[in-house]
Amino acid sequence: MGERTARRRVMLFTGLAAVWALAAALPVVWMALMMFKPEAIMFERPPVWIFTPTLAHVDYVLAHGFLWNLVTSMLVAGASTVLVVVVGTPAAYALARFPLARRDDLLLFVLATRMAPPVALAIPFYLIYARVGLLDSYLGLVVAYLTFNLSFYIWVLWSFCRELPVELEEAARADGYPRGRVLLQVVLPLLRPGIIATAVLCFIFAWNEFLYAFMLGGKAVETLPVAVPKLITSQGVKWGELSIVGIVALAPVLAVVFLLQRHIVRGLTMGAVKG
Amino acid sequence: MVTLVVVALVPFLYTVYLSLHEMQYARVGAWAGLENYRVLLGSPRFWHSVAISALFVAITVPLEFGLGLAGALILNQGVRLRSIIVPLLFVPTMMAPIVVAILWKIMLAGSWGLVSYNVLERFGILTDTSVLASPALALYALVFIDVWQWTPFVLLALFAGLQSLPVAPYRAAQVDGATALQTFRRLTLPLMAPLMAVIVLLRIIDAFKIFDTIFLLTGGGPGTATESVSLLAYKMVFDFWNLGAATATAVVVWVMFFAFSNVFYQLLKRTLRTS
Amino acid sequence: MNARRMRRAVLGLLVSMTPIALGAAAAEAWSYKEAAKPFAGQSITVLDETTPLQETMKALVPEFVKETGIKVDYQLLNHFEVISKGQADMLSGRGAYDAVMLHSPQMGLLLQADVIRPIDDLMANKTLANPDLDLKDLSQPAWDSLARFKGKTYGFLDWNYNVVYWARNDLLGHADEKAAFKKKYGYDLAPAKTLQQMRDIAEFFTRKKGEKLAGETLASDFYGVVLEGIKGGTTFWTLWNAFIKNFGGDIFDAEGKPTVDRPENVAAVKLWAEMWKFAPPGQAEYSLIDVPTVMGNGIAAQTLAWSDFVLGIDQPGKSKYAGKFVYAGSPAHAKSTTRSAETEPSMIVISKHSKRAEPTYLFLQWMVDKTTQKRFFETSKGAGVPIRESTWTAPELKASRFAGLYTAMRETLRYGRAKPKAPKIFEIMDVMSGVVQEIALGRKTAEAGLKEAQEKIVAICAKCTL
Repeated sequence: MGERTARRRVMLFTGLAAVWALAAALPVVWMALMMFKPEAIMFERPPVWIFTPTLAHVDYVLAHGFLWNLVTSMLVAGASTVLVVVVGTPAAYALARFPLARRDDLLLFVLATRMAPPVALAIPFYLIYARVGLLDSYLGLVVAYLTFNLSFYIWVLWSFCRELPVELEEAARADGYPRGRVLLQVVLPLLRPGIIATAVLCFIFAWNEFLYAFMLGGKAVETLPVAVPKLITSQGVKWGELSIVGIVALAPVLAVVFLLQRHIVRGLTMGAVKG
Repeated sequence: MVTLVVVALVPFLYTVYLSLHEMQYARVGAWAGLENYRVLLGSPRFWHSVAISALFVAITVPLEFGLGLAGALILNQGVRLRSIIVPLLFVPTMMAPIVVAILWKIMLAGSWGLVSYNVLERFGILTDTSVLASPALALYALVFIDVWQWTPFVLLALFAGLQSLPVAPYRAAQVDGATALQTFRRLTLPLMAPLMAVIVLLRIIDAFKIFDTIFLLTGGGPGTATESVSLLAYKMVFDFWNLGAATATAVVVWVMFFAFSNVFYQLLKRTLRTS
Repeated sequence: MNARRMRRAVLGLLVSMTPIALGAAAAEAWSYKEAAKPFAGQSITVLDETTPLQETMKALVPEFVKETGIKVDYQLLNHFEVISKGQADMLSGRGAYDAVMLHSPQMGLLLQADVIRPIDDLMANKTLANPDLDLKDLSQPAWDSLARFKGKTYGFLDWNYNVVYWARNDLLGHADEKAAFKKKYGYDLAPAKTLQQMRDIAEFFTRKKGEKLAGETLASDFYGVVLEGIKGGTTFWTLWNAFIKNFGGDIFDAEGKPTVDRPENVAAVKLWAEMWKFAPPGQAEYSLIDVPTVMGNGIAAQTLAWSDFVLGIDQPGKSKYAGKFVYAGSPAHAKSTTRSAETEPSMIVISKHSKRAEPTYLFLQWMVDKTTQKRFFETSKGAGVPIRESTWTAPELKASRFAGLYTAMRETLRYGRAKPKAPKIFEIMDVMSGVVQEIALGRKTAEAGLKEAQEKIVAICAKCTL
């Protein structure tokens, strides 16, 4: 393919991707504007794009402890993700490599924990937790998140593991490396994009989860999504404050993805797949 | 693995236990055997909610998969400014579903929604109703929102998968003079098959469970036009406190999916073996 | 002899005076501090619903803590959370909350589950009961219809939600509009006193973009009325109490059996559905939060809305039309003598699982105390919904910019009652609001829809009220 055609293709694709990204982000941009918009013109028709910003919404959010919700969310989502990666990676690898009896059933069962509607499971969870005293506790919520995040992680990573050519590992084994070292030195680096991508997704699920956090949390453990309905009051919805919470909830996740994407993306020169 | 099994099983088993008893609000009553199931499976409202959820899945998942795959392929080709575009593209998935629901309420609410005013009213579309108030359109609006939110997820996962593919087979294919299409069909697809299957299955399961957006935007209405299984379960639990029916719903959905995934997985194995 | 008789007389006098003296001392001595002595240092947890007024109440709570030494964790959650978490806590027996706020529809279910502790014994307890409580002053029929059941009392009033008539004064008072209205309908244009008038006004003010409204040309469509239309929410409650009952109908009869397809109900639903023609096209998705937003945006002329929302919208800075609104009591039926309005009295009840019923009772009593209520309205500068009759005459309310709103609230409250105590009321509301929505959208006739609803509800409960 000629150099010029290749470059033109890249520009075209970049253009497409950029348009798509903008379309996806536009409603969010509007929401970001709402963070500083005075309430009286919030839903003015026609919509107002230029206005004198106000910090009233920011003040309200800070005064009502949303910062602490942010911290709680970070703790719960962070702990949950770390736990999932530590427990899930070896499990996924084992499922992909070792011939286990009834492996398929086990695999499906792993996924099954994710299948029932959380809404219906919420009260049984609540009742069990009430009895064992896990309500309104960090441990309780992290464990609850395990039930759906772990299965997700294992499943996705399992498929990444399957993609890896067995030859590399067999070669290392033939060279006399013990299994553990094979895992650490050969497999993990190859799995890195997969692990990071999946871990990021698990983090996002835990970070944004609402129902369990609401039912099983309480005063001590209140994550950001649970704090959102507090802004839907009988005096109307506090749209400005909601926008702030929504955007702030987005920021850490955005940062994480932004920082880690390099690990996911292999360099332009490395084996770009011609598909 | 043992942790997972134990952790995930306990609430689920308790749910099954509850579904087999007469539930007096939160108190477990007499043994009811399959009575709750009999009533549930005989209820047209339940089957209607299953139909709605199934219809929803049947439209969103193919869309998300198609768009996601296309996007992943485009990105994989080499796109400038990838480090900025990818996070931006990914914003919808990173937002908490509850915030997404509120965001789209701001966009689509009748008469004061941003889209409603700027697009619909200006072009005279839908003058006699609004998007969310129209039984026909409400479901499609929800489809649109789901696609907006979750396509990036599919995109990222598939993109990571593409990036993780081994280089050697592609070099070999190039040497052999394979065309792009041939490479895609014979090499990329089979290699990506496990990941794609997992992503599709996960999306099917998650889309079926959709809740936050429906709850905040339509409440299951107009009529029961958007009453998904999760929404009906929510009503059963929190409005009617009919825990017997709700837990039976959870078990029924679980069984349905377990059977479905089994079939899906068998098909997958067969395709993998023949490729 | 004289001295002895005198001594005996004085002694007799002293003895006879002692009970009076003691009695006087006892009557003076009742105070929260004294009553709380055995409980000082204990902690209680109370769950209430978030409203700016409850937040004002929250600011006053430290005064109670200081006076009694009882630590109160007064938590505020929003509407859905108060219901789901509060009920989950009470029904599961967890008892993390000593007292929970309930809306009247929740009473049926919780009474049947027997998780509410009646307060009659506490009210009769001389140590705990404040003799100056003046319960006759509590808003009626709200309190009786809500808190009294089968001879027992379950709480005091916490919040006195009500739906008032809300309209645009600048439109109703415009000279040209008045003249045109009189010409078309034959009576003077004024805030609607009857449902039929509300309909006429709605029809009159529904205009398309380009037509004139109050002397100005419209840049977009304008609507004569906006009502709640979403499935669920309080859509059907308003229809039930502000329309159906005014027509002499009801969905239950005196014994609690369903009578949904009565001709009076059909007529009421028909009038309500007719109003949809004069409402914004998206009405089927409007909740009780959307309706005030729409009024605040100025695209509708009238509505029936919850008065506490008004307090949030009719403020400078919150809406361009602040100050241009007028309020009136919930409209009556032009020809019927039955009068009803939609109100939602709520109260805080003591959970049966609470181990601290006495200090909790003291707190709840304190909340409705005359002094506390007075302090409340002083702190909130007259913004609130009174739960005592005597509050209506308070200077803060009379001087407040919401004086017209208060008159409207007061009138509405005279005709509002708590919901019937039906354990399955949420299922019934779910069916009804779905059906009436379909009727309003023209997908079913009123007769057919209500007949279908009757069948469905009979299947839910043959006798629905406790």
